[in-house]
Amino acid sequence: MNLVEQIKAANAYGCLECGKCTAVCPVSLFSNSYSPRSMLTKTIRNEYDSLFVDYDLWSCLTCRRCDAVCPANIDYSRLNQIVRTSAKDSGFKGKCSHSGAMELLQKVMTTENINQNRMDWVTNDLDTAEEGEILYYVGCAPYFDIFFDDINISTTEAAKSSIKILNKLGVKPVVMKDERCCGHDLLWNGDVENFKMLAQKNIDAVNATGAKTILFSCAECMSSFANLYPDNGFKVNQKLMHMSQFIAEQIENEKLDLREPEINVTFQDPCRLGRHLGIYDEPRQVLQHNDGEHYHEMMQNNKRSLCCGVSAWMNCDITSKRIQKERLRQAKQTGADVLTVACPKCHIHLSCTMKDDFVKDNYEMDIKDISTVVLERMK
Amino acid sequence: MPTTESNFKNFIRKHKNTVSFSDKPNVFYPIGIVDPSPCMEACPAGVNVKAYVSLIAAGKFHEALHVVREKNPLPGICGRVCTHPCESYCNRNQIDAPVAIRALKRFVADYELKNPIPKPGKTAGKRTEKIAIIGSGPAGLTAAHDLAKSGFNVTIFEELSEPGGMLIAGIPSYRMPRDILDIEIGYIKNIGVKIITSKKISGKAAYNKLLKDFDAVYLAIGAHVGKKLGIPGEDEFKGFLDAVTFLRAVNLGTAKKPGENVIIIGGGNSAIDAARTALRLGSKVTIAYRRSRDEMPANDEEIEDAEKEGIKIHYLAAPNKIVGKNGTATGLECVKMKLGKPDESGRAKPIPIKDSEFIIDADVIIPAISQKPDLSFLPKNHEIDISKWQTLLADESTMATNIPGVFAGGDAVTGPNTVIDAIAQGHIAARSIEQFINGEDLTSTSDGSKSTEAEIKIDYNTQPKIKRAKIPMQNVTKRKGNFSEVEYGFDEKTAIAEAQRCLRCGPCDECFICVSECNKGLSVVHTSDGQNDYVLRLPSEFDDTILKNGKLEAVIKGQNGKDIPIEVDSYIPLVTASLCRGCGDCVTVCDYDAIQLIDMGDEVKISKIDPDLCRGCGTCVALCPSSVIQPGRFTSDWLDFKLQAIDLNKKSIVVFSCSWNGADFEQFSKIKVRDTNLIFIQTMCTGRIESSFILKALEKDTAGVLVVGCAADECHYEFGAKRFAETYAKVQQIAYMLGYDKNRLEYATVSGKNTEKFIEIVNDYARKIK
Repeated sequence: MNLVEQIKAANAYGCLECGKCTAVCPVSLFSNSYSPRSMLTKTIRNEYDSLFVDYDLWSCLTCRRCDAVCPANIDYSRLNQIVRTSAKDSGFKGKCSHSGAMELLQKVMTTENINQNRMDWVTNDLDTAEEGEILYYVGCAPYFDIFFDDINISTTEAAKSSIKILNKLGVKPVVMKDERCCGHDLLWNGDVENFKMLAQKNIDAVNATGAKTILFSCAECMSSFANLYPDNGFKVNQKLMHMSQFIAEQIENEKLDLREPEINVTFQDPCRLGRHLGIYDEPRQVLQHNDGEHYHEMMQNNKRSLCCGVSAWMNCDITSKRIQKERLRQAKQTGADVLTVACPKCHIHLSCTMKDDFVKDNYEMDIKDISTVVLERMK
Repeated sequence: MPTTESNFKNFIRKHKNTVSFSDKPNVFYPIGIVDPSPCMEACPAGVNVKAYVSLIAAGKFHEALHVVREKNPLPGICGRVCTHPCESYCNRNQIDAPVAIRALKRFVADYELKNPIPKPGKTAGKRTEKIAIIGSGPAGLTAAHDLAKSGFNVTIFEELSEPGGMLIAGIPSYRMPRDILDIEIGYIKNIGVKIITSKKISGKAAYNKLLKDFDAVYLAIGAHVGKKLGIPGEDEFKGFLDAVTFLRAVNLGTAKKPGENVIIIGGGNSAIDAARTALRLGSKVTIAYRRSRDEMPANDEEIEDAEKEGIKIHYLAAPNKIVGKNGTATGLECVKMKLGKPDESGRAKPIPIKDSEFIIDADVIIPAISQKPDLSFLPKNHEIDISKWQTLLADESTMATNIPGVFAGGDAVTGPNTVIDAIAQGHIAARSIEQFINGEDLTSTSDGSKSTEAEIKIDYNTQPKIKRAKIPMQNVTKRKGNFSEVEYGFDEKTAIAEAQRCLRCGPCDECFICVSECNKGLSVVHTSDGQNDYVLRLPSEFDDTILKNGKLEAVIKGQNGKDIPIEVDSYIPLVTASLCRGCGDCVTVCDYDAIQLIDMGDEVKISKIDPDLCRGCGTCVALCPSSVIQPGRFTSDWLDFKLQAIDLNKKSIVVFSCSWNGADFEQFSKIKVRDTNLIFIQTMCTGRIESSFILKALEKDTAGVLVVGCAADECHYEFGAKRFAETYAKVQQIAYMLGYDKNRLEYATVSGKNTEKFIEIVNDYARKIK
């Protein structure tokens, strides 16, 4: 498909110019210049020359907030991905945070024979297997922990908690030592070629373990397997579950029970888990289980949830920070002690803003992955 | 490629503060190009305002005063009474209010009084020529100062009993305390200027002797004769004196109350001075002015103060005639005016309203409408050209009169004008006199090159509003009956904060402190190509001077007789303000305090790099999580370009190094290892090397990456190497996790410039790699 056909496929020509997208867009809300509607207009007018060099081409968070309200059913997030791919193919690139270190890391993972040492976080108290029916897909958390040690967060904590939960339930999950990045970020910032290489390698590796179910703590990894791989022609045979779904199912089947909570919690819907995968209820069922009044919703929740401000390591700027601050303000407003996350990216981005010396006093609060919160309450 | 001087100039201009890269060795970098900021452009005397304001912001008060003195020998005086055109042109006007430049100048002048440093000694007398200056006002004092600095013997003749001209005779002491005047005049005396007071040059003999005894004469006699109103009753009644006479009498003689009800006529600074002086002597004071407040030429602050102190101002009231009884004035009849179309002065022309006459009671009437010079000292047959306004005629670009060797300036030429304009003319006259004595042609200053289009890029939208510091003032109720100074100076903290409001328009503050304080093996030079000034920073490896006779050479002669073309890049990184997250990471890494976070309100801060303090190591660039600090050199594009040299058919090794220790870049081409493709990439400091640099090299499938830098305690930037060690530790962990062979990455340190050791390290590493 050429670019125009792809744009057509994303329904872009159906635009009614109602502007609902711009009205709800979190980037537009906090940036002076960004408007999905005008970006779309430029796209359907074939103004690629100006579009490819536009900083704002890389500003969309692909959070699908606009897609959810669009009366013409336009897939704006996908449209962005299409134009970005075309821009990349023409030699343009966006502004990556950390000078593209993350992007490079993902590209390195496409290398045929790499022999990763990514299992150091699997301590002796965690029981894992090389083959089995249930596979836990770790994601890039071990690498994140090195990169972000200066903001003092551990994203492998979610993986550790998840495995402990599984072990308590008598499950010894498969953890792959040759797991690679799922390619999610590469696809969204327009690098389809490398994304496809990673997709193929991961599918092969997963199939080799004999897994029938794959569990995820990372909402982005899950959306790759559930949406992006099939969309790009890769067949995924396994049942896919986010940890929150798995835990909810266990509670439902009365295999797992939680103590009454002692602390107040709120929940940040990851865009990938919510608007991309439609999973809203399970994390809430888990957090509200056996609970009278310790669970609090933020002002914007479920389908209207606010993104964590950065996507695919692109355009981490003042607009991102404003979005993050607004989200943290909403979290604080609930009176909760812990902000529960279900995606390591939300964890990193919101923590980063929280650690900022200049806003610390107003926004600092505990932030934990849902698995960690559950583990602490497990009977 | 620049080959001639003018090409070179254009080349620098074009590349100013832009990112450009080349694989050619860096030869030198401009720190800044002297592009005048609007404040400096606006100052008639050309004081480098931005430089001294910046120095105040940095707490360097003595240095700041030094910058002022270069163009203004009367800083304490101008700090009090200058009409500050610089503030009117300040770019801060676009945001909130101008920087309080005048008060800042006063602050540094006061600071030196409290924290004295040795005054410069006598410079006069190094040359034999003698110069006479008539008048010791600002025009005379400035010329005397400049000429004495050049070594001439300068004598000032002053008619009044004390030196200062209008500064002492015209400006009341509540604005201009006499001790300040004494100190600043003392400074000029100190360098060898002779001032003879109570000496009026008058009559043919005295005038001719003057021309005979001195090599040049400068007439800076001011304008001390008050003009008459030209209305009925002026010569008929007593109780009538002009403002300059009144002020002179008060300022130099005994302070006597002029009368019960005093009327001042006029709207200039002299009118306000006369009014506030009369008020202090106990009179009830009214001002009559024929236009409205908007047209009033006096300073706004002055008018405000006068009104606060209780002076009533009748606007749109023109004097019609003096009324009186028994030979004494009893009042002034005024006619009400309305404003018509602008006249030739650009101000609205007042038109009388018929039958609107009214009388203001007064026993003393003081017109302050204008002044003219007192030319009575000239003999009858003098040949100096005089204007129809009874001012001396002089060429405004050289201050030369029609008589060779006789120069004139200040109010005597311009008519009543400001102190700073008189200073400006003093400078011009001094230069012309020196040229005249040297037998040179007089060069004109006004070559039309004063551009108001200085390339100044300020994004006003991203600049936070910061309140202008209020100048502390004496309580209004305490002002009657005494002449103590009404304005107080800033304290240190306020001065620094106010100076920090400066937007520092243009690329460099041109304070030249870098030149005078250059250390650590760098050579920083300030040079000029005749039209533009440059500050250049030369890397230490080029010790053969590229500057000859103070002029820029565009080409460096290479060893083999070939010319080395010059590459110029700015090394100061820029922050893209609209994207900065304000996380403060850069502030933390920079040990030079070169980065500050600016509060934009609404909890938003953005970082700003101070080009003076920045030394260009690039560590902040490497560590910015949002990648919004744009380096002047060593960009990622430049890295990509360098890495194109990777040859995968051979064993390729990327060697990163800093520009201080180890080997000079010229040596790189000579370092050879068999069957190995060596790619040398030199950054200013290893601190600039970010994790992505190394990952990129690894991602391109190089056999190895070697980083050679200074040992942490030898780092030229003190912290760059330390920061890199942290980065390296991270990359090492990542490389380990990715399963790379341990040897694919190595970090070594070298002590000092040691090419042999550097080559040894490279060789050892190459041997380890398969």
